[in-house]
Amino acid sequence: MYTLLIVQLAVSGALMGMVYALVAYGFQLTFATSKSINFGQGELVMLSALFSLTLIDTGLPYWLVVPGGMLFGAALGLFVERAGVRLALEQKSEGWILLTIILGLLGFSTAENIWGRDDRPFPTPIPSDPLHFFGIDVTPLELSVAVGVLTVMGLVELFKRKTLLGKAFEAVSADRDAAQLMGISATRTIQLSYGLSGLVAAMAGILVAPITTVGPTMASVLVLKAFSVAVVAGLDSGFGVVLVGLFLGALESLTSFYLGSGWREAPGLVLLILALAVRPNGVFGKATIRKV
Amino acid sequence: MWKRLLLIRGTELAVLAMLAAIPLVVNNSYVLGLITLLAIYGILLIGLDVTVGYLGQVNLAQAAFLGLGAYAAGLSVAHLEFGMLASLAMGFGVGLVFGTVLAFPALRLEGPQFALATLSFSALSATTLNEWEGLTLGAQGLQVSRPPFLGMTLDAPGFFWLCLLLLALVWIGMRNLLSSQWGRAFEALRDSPVATDAMGVGTYRHKVAGFALASGLGGLAGGLYAFNFQYLQPQSFGWDLMVILLLGVVLGGRKSLWGALVGASLIALLPNLLSNRGLFQLISAAGLIIAVAAGTRGLLKKTAGPFRALAPVVAMGVLVAGSFVVENTEDWRKAIFALMLFAVVVGLPEGLMGFAAHFLARLFRIAPPPLPAPAPLDDVLPKRTVDGSVLLELRGLERYFGGVKAVDGISMTVRAGEIHGLIGPNGSGKSTAVNVISGLYTPTGGDILLRGKALPAGSLFKVARSGVARTFQNLQLFGELSALDNVMVALKDVYRSPLPLVLLGLARAEENRARAAALALLELVGLGEQARSRAKDLTYGDQRLLEIARALARKPELLILDEPAAGLAHPDVNKLLGIIKLIHERGISIILIEHHMDVISELCSVVTVLDGGRIIAAGTAEQIKRDPKVIEAYLGATDGVAPAPAA
Repeated sequence: MYTLLIVQLAVSGALMGMVYALVAYGFQLTFATSKSINFGQGELVMLSALFSLTLIDTGLPYWLVVPGGMLFGAALGLFVERAGVRLALEQKSEGWILLTIILGLLGFSTAENIWGRDDRPFPTPIPSDPLHFFGIDVTPLELSVAVGVLTVMGLVELFKRKTLLGKAFEAVSADRDAAQLMGISATRTIQLSYGLSGLVAAMAGILVAPITTVGPTMASVLVLKAFSVAVVAGLDSGFGVVLVGLFLGALESLTSFYLGSGWREAPGLVLLILALAVRPNGVFGKATIRKV
Repeated sequence: MWKRLLLIRGTELAVLAMLAAIPLVVNNSYVLGLITLLAIYGILLIGLDVTVGYLGQVNLAQAAFLGLGAYAAGLSVAHLEFGMLASLAMGFGVGLVFGTVLAFPALRLEGPQFALATLSFSALSATTLNEWEGLTLGAQGLQVSRPPFLGMTLDAPGFFWLCLLLLALVWIGMRNLLSSQWGRAFEALRDSPVATDAMGVGTYRHKVAGFALASGLGGLAGGLYAFNFQYLQPQSFGWDLMVILLLGVVLGGRKSLWGALVGASLIALLPNLLSNRGLFQLISAAGLIIAVAAGTRGLLKKTAGPFRALAPVVAMGVLVAGSFVVENTEDWRKAIFALMLFAVVVGLPEGLMGFAAHFLARLFRIAPPPLPAPAPLDDVLPKRTVDGSVLLELRGLERYFGGVKAVDGISMTVRAGEIHGLIGPNGSGKSTAVNVISGLYTPTGGDILLRGKALPAGSLFKVARSGVARTFQNLQLFGELSALDNVMVALKDVYRSPLPLVLLGLARAEENRARAAALALLELVGLGEQARSRAKDLTYGDQRLLEIARALARKPELLILDEPAAGLAHPDVNKLLGIIKLIHERGISIILIEHHMDVISELCSVVTVLDGGRIIAAGTAEQIKRDPKVIEAYLGATDGVAPAPAA
């Protein structure tokens, strides 16, 4: 019985971990093209979820809400790139760290004032009555998270590999200067990566919203864990984030069981610092050669 | 000289006296609370500026260190019955220790990774303060009583004076430290970590020391914070405060003590500014005017692109509009911070003080301090006697990258007093060989011996300390530092004063000696006139020469010049030839990597030719010019007699 409880906790945790993986995947997309990430990505997740909630409130059917929210996320991603990243990249400085933090703060405050500070439920047509697999309860809602995450990631990967635009994306990731010499606009490609990253973040928000409820603070912890997943897996590790996401999700679910829910965030944070200390390129990342 | 000293020190003293006099004149607990907070934030921001300004890293942990210091000081009063000084020392110590612990993993990290490490640390410390209820009482909050100071009970003005005294001490100590070799080293490792190691300065200890010190000051400020408010809650030290602190440093101006003070007064006053609508409208309007003026100026002078000029105007415009529309400005606190920060980061990256410093220097015609006379070259770079004995020996040196054998078994000998040419087509392994010798790469196999002893493998820093100096083909200057500072930071055997003496400002003599010595080296390469120019503002040719002067500051036995003539115009090449000869005359042995065959012919007594990671020929310049293998490597297989390789 006890073992079953542990497994149950691990499985629920791991399914939540898929959301971290998806947000972490968004970090990878922009890191690949520009070596930068949006420190305000959590706010992007949250704003997209709130926007989708508003769409639901207007009576839009769920299958229209999802793309609507995702487009909104993509638009926000593009805004972040234009306002917070491009200038710093042009100056070859790391000013984008500060600027994306600032834009995140702006987003947070806007959300607080437009949608209020309270958490609200997020209606969804997906049922939450548990299904039983070998004595473990899994809700269709949790499964929808896993399916949604893998679908989005699969589609983006397909786009990167099969379309011309996607190939440009890969080219800029491999070598920005060489790609530019071949007539690929790095600026456009970085823009595209931020748009995609926003899209992916919005999807993460919509998927997780029915489980966690929606409010300005819904993603402030989530994004920390996504950082952990991205760094532990390696910012250029591709699907490595999924494995690490599953692992971290399970780990924190067990931590909160054994140590109390207040310590829930601790394993992710410790793992992040340890990973940076021991393997700065991540478990699945490639070591880079210093060039002078 | 005196004018400068009088103006700068005079202003410092005047501001200090004015602040100290406030409690005597105004008997108002509210004002007193405000200026006490100003002094505490001052210490905190001076610390934060070390990482954000000097080390150039986004540090998101300073609020956490404030919290840790506050709890450490508060708890040591409650549980250990410490006095004021001991518990403040506890706060400082806790900041210092945790700072050091965090610095070690954060050490190898740059930019986003560093920011993430500090971000995680803050979140972790918030969790711990919240959850360790046995010690901190968690979210319920901790009452702290203000302990006696040397047996006296401090009232509010007394405590303020203590804070102010500490601020003054921190100010003096940091001013001395940051204008010493330490400050230069911090900036050097921000601009080029690789060169910092290659010049024997050491990124490792400076980064740890800088970050630990910043955190220690955070902890000290925390102790004062605890005894000021006498009530602590974990959530006071969270993300909100961190953003405000960044606002303070950035708005005040990075790399400036005055900037930290201005920033501290702004963030201490900020809550009041926001709660008074009229005042807020006034300030946002002033911000808009500044943004418009700065933007127009930037556009006219072409120092700023359209985005840099317009974005701050838009941000401040939104702020002004908001100040009239919004019902309760308190609700929009974060958005207001964000807009202000955004406008400053984009439009005024040097901050208010950076902006004002130029202006004030011009207004009062403050000349920079005069430079001393250059030291005699014989003192700076004593002539070595060379005997032609073996200096450097490579035995079967190998370096593979995956399957690529970039260096594939090189054995060669460099004798003392030689200028040893190392040539070869592109991709022949010259640069990799140099990178292995100088310690950037660890060799895959083989030995490197300097005077018969193994050279430390894979550590730029240790190799630099063994008497081998190098330049970089792709320039690795410390761009923000002046030419003089670039040389000074690399100078060997000058800085001997221990840290406490530096903090007390008792290391000026060696600083002057260093300046004179560095000037002598700049004169040697013909850059004496440009001593004060920032390295990144020099012409390309002068930057190459500065690389050489900086390497000479290591007083090396062996100097490795990695394509010093690359990209130089013809007159500059001639100048370079003269300089290399001068260096050679001082008994310094040189390995010269070069593409210009005329340079090689003129300078080198011995030439080694590489191709495909192996040595294909060695001998005098004349011999290798006629070597068929060399000709083949450069020009492909030929049937007749080919001209000399001139690539």
